Amino acid sequence: MKLIDWLDERLAVRQLIKVMMTEYYVPKNINFLWSFGVLIILTLTILIISGIFLLMYYKPDANLAFDSVNKTIMMDVSYGWIFRHVHAVGASIIFLLLYIHMARGIYYGSFKPPREIVWITGYVLFILMSATAFTGYLLPWGQMSYWAAQTITTLFEKIPFIGPDLVIWIRGHFIVEDPTLTRFFALHVVFLPLLLIIFTAIHLYAVRIVGSNNEDGVPIPKEEKKKKGIPFWPVFMAKEYFVMAVFLTFFFFLVFFHYEFAMDPINFTPANKLQTPPHIYPEWYFLAYYEVLRGFFFSQNLGLIAFVLSMFIAMFLPWLDKSPIVSGKHRPMFQVAFWIFILDFVFLTVLGKLPPTGLYAWLGLIGSIIFFAFFFSLPIISKIERKQIENGGNKK
Amino acid sequence: MKELKILAVLIIVVLIGYIGIEPYAKHVMHGTIPPPDFSYLDLPKFEPAGDPVKGKELFKANCASCHSLKADGIEAGMDKKTAELSFHVVPPDLSNIAAIVEPHFLANFIRDPQNATKNPKFAMPPMGYLTNDQIGDIIAYLKSKAKKELTGKEILQDACTRCHSVKYQKIQAITSKEHLKTYLGKIPPDLSLMGRAKEKEYLITFINNPQVLLPGTTMPRLGLTEEATEKVVMYLDKIADPHKEERKKIGMWVLIYMLIGVAITYAWKRKIWQKIH
Amino acid sequence: MSNEEKLEKNEENISRRDFLLYAMGAWATVGVGYALYAMYKTWEPLPEVMAQATVKFDLSKVKPGELKVISWRGKPVFILHKTKDMTKCPERTVAGEYTVVIGVCTHLGCIPNWEPDKKIWHCPCHGGEYNACGVNIFGPPPRPLDIPPFKLEGTIIVLGEEGPEYRKMISG
Repeated sequence: MKLIDWLDERLAVRQLIKVMMTEYYVPKNINFLWSFGVLIILTLTILIISGIFLLMYYKPDANLAFDSVNKTIMMDVSYGWIFRHVHAVGASIIFLLLYIHMARGIYYGSFKPPREIVWITGYVLFILMSATAFTGYLLPWGQMSYWAAQTITTLFEKIPFIGPDLVIWIRGHFIVEDPTLTRFFALHVVFLPLLLIIFTAIHLYAVRIVGSNNEDGVPIPKEEKKKKGIPFWPVFMAKEYFVMAVFLTFFFFLVFFHYEFAMDPINFTPANKLQTPPHIYPEWYFLAYYEVLRGFFFSQNLGLIAFVLSMFIAMFLPWLDKSPIVSGKHRPMFQVAFWIFILDFVFLTVLGKLPPTGLYAWLGLIGSIIFFAFFFSLPIISKIERKQIENGGNKK
Repeated sequence: MKELKILAVLIIVVLIGYIGIEPYAKHVMHGTIPPPDFSYLDLPKFEPAGDPVKGKELFKANCASCHSLKADGIEAGMDKKTAELSFHVVPPDLSNIAAIVEPHFLANFIRDPQNATKNPKFAMPPMGYLTNDQIGDIIAYLKSKAKKELTGKEILQDACTRCHSVKYQKIQAITSKEHLKTYLGKIPPDLSLMGRAKEKEYLITFINNPQVLLPGTTMPRLGLTEEATEKVVMYLDKIADPHKEERKKIGMWVLIYMLIGVAITYAWKRKIWQKIH
Repeated sequence: MSNEEKLEKNEENISRRDFLLYAMGAWATVGVGYALYAMYKTWEPLPEVMAQATVKFDLSKVKPGELKVISWRGKPVFILHKTKDMTKCPERTVAGEYTVVIGVCTHLGCIPNWEPDKKIWHCPCHGGEYNACGVNIFGPPPRPLDIPPFKLEGTIIVLGEEGPEYRKMISG
């Protein structure tokens, strides 16, 4: 215990542990959906560690990349294949965790005052994670990698005036080529992870200041914290360990036995600049936005605007939904809208993978409109709820 | 109880999405793969039988100007370079051909290779002037020389590597790239990872009859027997995914380990949370 | 009563708590241990590197008086077909007429140059000299040039494997 004292004198570690752990009180009435933040940090850690080991054999060169991944790492390096599987499945599954984490935030109103900064930093983290996934997906230099990067970078061409030049600037070439691979590599392994770590720190700091939301959305008063809350350490973490163990069991099941969803067979064919595969689609976590892009099939420009809007609109939730009632648990109208939105998101995700022809094209349009309808219904629902409360609020 | 309900909702939503983007979308995109047909009965029925001794003479007179048969010490009448200049592909050694190709197909192939392979540009000239008996003799001879048991790799080297390379196994296509480009219009894909890029059923049907899955492809139908096709596909799978067995074994241990972890952490959680209401 | 106090009251459970805590610790240690082991294994040389561990070379390709330099495990190996006028040393001669040594100066690791007129190796770094047997005859080198482990298969020499000739040479 001498060491603790020594450190305490210099770094105030006891105080730090109290603030961060033992005297950071988490409400009792929260369910396991509040564990997903920790699961995301766990997965991010797994991704960083496995990524470091992949980095030791990966070669960011258009002529070498494919073989360095599929031959050297997957076949020659002892246990190299485990690191690749873990990295690929981890990258895919972290989006599932992010979506659940965000859906929980939306449902229980965790974006509302005073947690706006928590929500915005969280949303920035989601965008950063998307960028990291997109740049990382090019690195194996397979057919799917190549054509995903080719089509998504082509989107920038539609920006008025600067578009065509911008695309060439982003690629460093007229098509996706070696310079694109090298710069995506640099972004994927240094720049974006660094930003991710910085924003994670801000996100966690913000949560420590404003505290966790809870199912009822009613904050616990300071003086009742000990009574109504449980300390993050050791009590809340005890549950967290269990949730982590269950999650990791599921995760490793996917890694060893069910990884195809994260490692598309088409990507085991080397990139071919002269031949597009018959079906190309993004990884599953971008399918919904991709479908919004395709959904307005009659106008490419409208589709592009809708696509950008769909990626960012959720960031403005704190200003779209200004209802005084925090938790969706006590908002019947909001609940209806919320579940329609969730089902619509799944619907769009599935449509995003199907060929955009005939009926699917029209369904895509309807799905896209419902997607936006949710966000634009929020101010109306808020207004109605505010009125109800002002009129005496006979119901709670 | 409440948490289990939430979990159930979560699982249902995720499962609907998963079924939609994986099995359902794949079904819509690729349809079902038609089963292979190893009888090759779209070609005229032919049950070759004959005399291997006569067959050898016929082979020397009609085939050996292009084909070797190393198992019987017969060298081809032309070297690799000459063959490439005349055909843009190197004719195969026929030592084991009768072991990997269906006899009925082989007979039809000798008579009319373009029709049998469904490739109008197939390099071998038709041998229509041979009588049925003569073809029977040649096949009897080929059969007498062919090895009985061939490994997947040997079949691959006999049937595929004339045009395909297998880079990761250090196998280079026998015909040079420029000639393949002239012959087939493009350089055929490397087979190192084909076992992962395509599913087993696809590969079997494709080898059995390329036109069914890829209409217009220049890959010829080769008339492999069911056994030879399966062996080759198994070999392709093995070289594309060499750690399959290891993966299953380690996977099992990791899952057992994780389940122990679930049990311990659950006990710990119950202990700590016992008094919290 | 706070939760912590409640927990502390729970004395009959202390021993079980301790056991569970240890079990959890042991469980986590096993997992981390295996992960570290896998990480350790990824740093081992790749099969293509290990393939360079042994090199085969046909000695009869070297004409009398000629020196060939081949690469073995990334280092140069000198193979000198000796002639009668060169220093004799049966205990350091392979197959009766060849000097086979690792071409790395035993002083500080430079690569000595062969000087055919003097029939010596001269190290450019600090002037060390070795005779045609690879034995140091001048300058700072502390010992003769090292002989790589080898095995003879007729006129083929396999570098990287220990054959009876090599064992005899190093023990003698």
